[in-house]
Order: sequence, then structure tokens, then C-alpha cells
Amino acid sequence: MPRRASAKHHPTIWIFVVGLIVILGAGGYYLYCNVNDPFRTLQPLDVAVYLENSNSLRGNTYKIQASIQNSLAWSPNLGRLFSVAMESGEPLPLLVPAQFNQINLQKGQKFFFKIKISEKGILTVEDLKKS
Amino acid sequence: MKCRLIILEMFCLFASYALFAQAPDTAPAAPTTPSPAPTATAPANAATGDSKLLGKDLPFFNPGNEIVTWDGKNWNIADNRLFRARFEKYLNAPEQTSQDDIAYQKVIDQILEKLAPKKVNATTLDEAWALLPEASNYKSDAHLCDSLSDAVYASWLAKEEIQRLTKANETLDRQKNSIEWNMKMAVQNQELEKSPPKNPFAAAEWAKEQELKRTTRTQPYLERLADINARLLANRTKKEASELQTKIEFQALIVQFFLQRRFQHVIIANRFYRSIFGDGDTQLRVDDPMKNLLTQGSGLPATIGLLDSMANEAMRDVTEGIDAFNFLLDKEELASATQRLQEAFTIGEYLPAIRTLSRDKKRQALDFAQKSNQLISALEVKDYSLAENLVNELEKMAKDFDKSKPLAAIETAKTVSGMHLAKARTAAVSGDRATLETELKNAMEIWPRNPELAKVSGAIFEQTDIQQQALVDLDRLISQKNYRQIYEDRVRFIAAAALYPEKQEKLAAVLENMQLIESSIIRANEISKHGDYAGAWESVEKVFQQFPDDNKLNQVRADLTTQAADFVRSLRTAQDLEKKEQTGSSLAWYLKAQHLYPLSEFAKEGIARLVKNILPEEP
Repeated sequence: MPRRASAKHHPTIWIFVVGLIVILGAGGYYLYCNVNDPFRTLQPLDVAVYLENSNSLRGNTYKIQASIQNSLAWSPNLGRLFSVAMESGEPLPLLVPAQFNQINLQKGQKFFFKIKISEKGILTVEDLKKS
Repeated sequence: MKCRLIILEMFCLFASYALFAQAPDTAPAAPTTPSPAPTATAPANAATGDSKLLGKDLPFFNPGNEIVTWDGKNWNIADNRLFRARFEKYLNAPEQTSQDDIAYQKVIDQILEKLAPKKVNATTLDEAWALLPEASNYKSDAHLCDSLSDAVYASWLAKEEIQRLTKANETLDRQKNSIEWNMKMAVQNQELEKSPPKNPFAAAEWAKEQELKRTTRTQPYLERLADINARLLANRTKKEASELQTKIEFQALIVQFFLQRRFQHVIIANRFYRSIFGDGDTQLRVDDPMKNLLTQGSGLPATIGLLDSMANEAMRDVTEGIDAFNFLLDKEELASATQRLQEAFTIGEYLPAIRTLSRDKKRQALDFAQKSNQLISALEVKDYSLAENLVNELEKMAKDFDKSKPLAAIETAKTVSGMHLAKARTAAVSGDRATLETELKNAMEIWPRNPELAKVSGAIFEQTDIQQQALVDLDRLISQKNYRQIYEDRVRFIAAAALYPEKQEKLAAVLENMQLIESSIIRANEISKHGDYAGAWESVEKVFQQFPDDNKLNQVRADLTTQAADFVRSLRTAQDLEKKEQTGSSLAWYLKAQHLYPLSEFAKEGIARLVKNILPEEP
């Protein structure tokens, strides 16, 4: 009796399908991330450089994603100063100017921040979006 | 009489000592009581008169305290160094009982025998005089008999000269009588020649003529008579002067023998004198001070007989003294025996009774005398330890030794010295340096060889040295900021600085700081035991900033720095950046440090400073 050819799917097909799924997943994630980041056109802050010499970055604009840790100070006219934790856990000071006083910033909330290195090397928020 | 004798003997002693040009002590011996004012009982004329061989004053002896006052100086007859040396020399000398000594004494006895008052005549006088050169040959005589022999011979020559002058005067007297008679005859023959005229004028002329003739005849007789009278007078004067001069010379020799305490020679010379000058004139012709010395208090005239009796009395006194010495020696009463012998020796050093005393007996007194003299010396130099030992030895040697006086002096000195030392100790403790020095000086003056003095002063000065050294070390360590060393030797420095408020203040500040350092170290150790190295480091770091030179603190800090490396690095980086005005970076590092050690005060303070800088408080 002659050997009957397999009626099931060829294994190569299976490999292709899995590969396609992975590619689709990665692409989906990439799209998710970029589409969710409101400041995706901005360069993220190089924390190491900032920690070493913040004054050298004065005038630059960056983006960071960080969560609120503590409120360090508050000034009705100048704004609020927070300590925020980067995703790496690095704490950084962040000045949220008075123009954002209407936004509630609470401990543990995660935000996308558009920041500018102001005078004295302070990270000053220019814009923020809740992530 | 006895007192006068002692005075005279002391005078003799000093006279003989003066020949050695020995200067008297300027002060009485230590143990004696102050002597009474000599002017109260001294001879009335003692202070007057010109300077003499023995000074302006006559010696005055106070029998109450055995002090002799002479020429403004006080002497204790028993404590005089020269006398002590002389007495010890005598005690060591052998008895003079050799054949020569016996023969010499025999000759002296023969002379005295031949000159004895009831036996003396021209023959025995010559025989005695002939024996003088023989006596002079012996060493013991010191050629004194030669001097006496010469004096006797000179007196005899003087007597012969006087006799010759007497005979010459007799011849002159006869010539005078003859001339007077011839002159008388010449005048009478003239009256017989013729009668005067009756005419008044002629009679007057005749009388004048007769007068002229008489004068012419008698003139040669008158001149001759005057010449004879002058020669008679000159001879009489010469005779009297010669006799007086001879007597004075002889008396001077007798007085010299007396002053030399050669009493046998005094008696011999006195007997020669009486035989040669048998006119009954025995008055002493010497200077007033010597006369006063001999007759002091008695009111009797100074005569040769007085010297004779005093010499006899001295000889008797010496014999009695030697008898007493022998008796007391038998009774083992060495103190009194030695004193009696000393007295006898003082008076009659050259008398046979003294010279023939056996050496064995003298040796017994010698040991006692030497120790007594040592005791006196020890008391003089205030060596009371030695004096006390000597008192004990003397007490064992002599039953009759009176230890009360020396012991009283010793105990008093010891007590007073001890009191000064106690005061010195108190002053040392209280830091009163002036009193300390004064009391030590007083204690040393009273008892220079006090063994306690050396111990106490040594201890005080050692203590002072240690204290001074500690204070020097304290100053040095403070200047080096080596507070750790000060803290570790704190007991020593606290004790040393106790008397110095200024240093005490500095030391207190140092110890207070060290207490702070030590507390922080202890606290850090406790914290690190719980694994809180950052907290421990911070605890140490706060104190380190105040005391960066403490080694122990440094070491602890270094250890904790290793164990809390991330926190320390964060904090230091934050501080460095803060200094560089990297406010953002600095604040980030402070936040990081706080993240690592949330209780960090340094981080909290740093954050507060920077926050205030970023968001200054609004008015």
C-alpha cells in the first residue's frame, strides 16, 4: 500500500505563523508605545549627564516619564517642587510651574513630562500628560 | 679665793693661747645660756685704758655657766676647741715617770728644800742657785730655771753695785766732813788776826776787807762741798734706781712663771727674791690691770706673797682634783671624773700630779672626753641624729652622765623641725610655694641633717617635677590639638592642673570635647550594630566636622564610610555640586542620599537649603 501523504499542516507553516504573530505583537507594542507617548518627538533626558552637570544642559528641552514621590515645596507664584522617581528608580527634583497649579499631582501618579533645564539646572515642567 | 684662782688661771690660759695668735670664737657655744652682761661684775677699770697685749678688757669668769668674757668675746671653758684639743693631747700622752722626769723633780724638790724659809742662809742660797742650771738641763723644765738663774745672778750683781755705791758715798761723806771742818777753821783764824779800827768810816772799810778775805778763803771749800753733795745725791739716786729696776725685773719673771702656770717655779723664784731683797719690800710693781686681777674682790695689796700663796693653793687644788678623779674613776662615774681632771689640767697642766697620772687612767677619760667633744660638735653643727647616738653611748659609758640638757636640745630641735616640715607639706599641698620654701628653710636651719627633711623635700620636689612635667605636656598636647592623648592621660592632667585655674579651664574644654567625640563613637557603634551604617556614619560625621584631628574618630568614620559607601558618595557628591552651584544636580544627589537613608539629617538639611534657593519664600 503506498505511503499516504500527510494530510496535516506542514511544520514550516507553523514556524511562519508564530513568527508572524511575534512580529505583529512587537509592531503592535511599538505602535502602542509611540502612539501613547505624547512627547515622542522629544529626546529623553540623559539622567547620568544631568546628575553630573545639570548646568551644562540649561536651556535644553527633554521628556521624561516619572512618578510623583514627594512634594518638596510650594509657591503660589512660582509653582510646586516635587521629587519624582524615574523608571530606573532615580529620584530627581522637578519644578512644576504655577501654570499647572490646577492639575492635581499626587504621590504615585505617573506622568510624561516635557521639561526644560532652566536656570540653576532645575528641571522645569513645560507640559505634562498622565500616562 | 678659789674663784679668784680660776679667774687667774683662765687669764693664764688665754695668755698662753694668745701666743698662738688663736682668735677666740665670736659667739658662745650653742648649748650654753646667754652670759650675763660682763660690765656688771667685771673690773671697774676693765673697759678703760689703752690697748694691751691681751686686749682692752680683763677676762671675766662666770662660774654659773662656765663662760669667760674677755675683750668683748665669750668663751665656754669646756667647749673651747683649742682647750679640747690640748686636753685630748694630754690624755693621749704617756705619764711622765721616766728617769729624767723623776730626776728633774728631785732637783726641783732639793731646790725648794734648800730655800725653805727656816733653812735658808747664804750657803743654801748659793747651793740652790747652783742647782738651777742642773734642773734646766731637763726637757720638762723648758729652760725656765736658766731664766731664774740669770735673774738671781743679775740681782746679785745689782746688789754688789749698790754696795759699791754705798761705800763710795761713805767716802764722800768723810770728805764732806773734812771740808766742812777746814772751812770752819779758815773762817775762825781770820777772826783772830786783829780787831777793827775805832773810826766808823775806817771800821766800815775794814769790815768790807774782812768779808772779802773770808770769801776768798772759803770759796774753794764751798765749791768742793757742792761737788761732793752732788755726787752723793747722784749715787743715792743711782742706788735706789738700780735696786728698783732689779726688783721689777725679778717680779716680772715671777709673774711670767705664774701666768705660765709654772707654780713650782713661782715658789722657787719667790724664795730667791725674799732672800736677795731682804728689805721687807714685797710690793708688786706691775701695771694696774695685773694688780687688779690679783687683788680682785679681796681688797688686799698685791705682793709677792700673794703670788706665792696662790701658787701653793693652785698646787693643792690640782692634787685634790687628781684625788677626786681617781676616786670617781673607781666608781665608774666618768663624767664627773673627766670634769675633775679637766679642771685640774686647766689649772696645773705642768704640775707633777698632772704629769705623772698614768696613761691607762687617762685613756678611760679620753674615750668619754672624745665622745663628749663629739657631742658638743654634733650639737654645734646641729647633727642631732649623731648627737642622740652619742648621748646613748655616753649614758652607757658613764653612770653619772647627765643627758637631760643634750636630750632637751635634741628633742626640741627635732620637734620644731618636724613642725616646720608638716607646715611645708601643707603648703605644698595647697600650692603655697612661698610658705613651702620658708618652712623648708626653717626646718633645714634647725636640723640640717634631718633625714625626714631629705625625704619630704625630695617627695615635694619630685611631686613638683611630675606636676610641672604634666603641665608642660598638657600645653604641648593642646598646641598639637592632640586631645585624644590628653583624654587618655586625663587623670594625670587633672591632678597637675588642679592648682592652676587657667589650665584647668583649658583642660575642662578639651575633656568636654573628647567626651563628645567618645559619645559619638559609642553611639555610632551602637547604630552600626543594627546594620544602619549610614546612620552610624552620619552620627560620626557630625562630630568629625568639629574635631577632624582625632585619630580614633577618623578611623571609625573611615570604617563606616566603606560600609555606607553609596550613601556617603551621594551625600558628598551633593555637597560638592552644591558648592559648585550645580543646584539641580546637587538636589538630585541629596534626594538620592535621602532615598538611601531617609532619616539623613545631612540630606534633609541639604534639600532644605536648595529648595529655599529654588523657591525662595515670598514676602
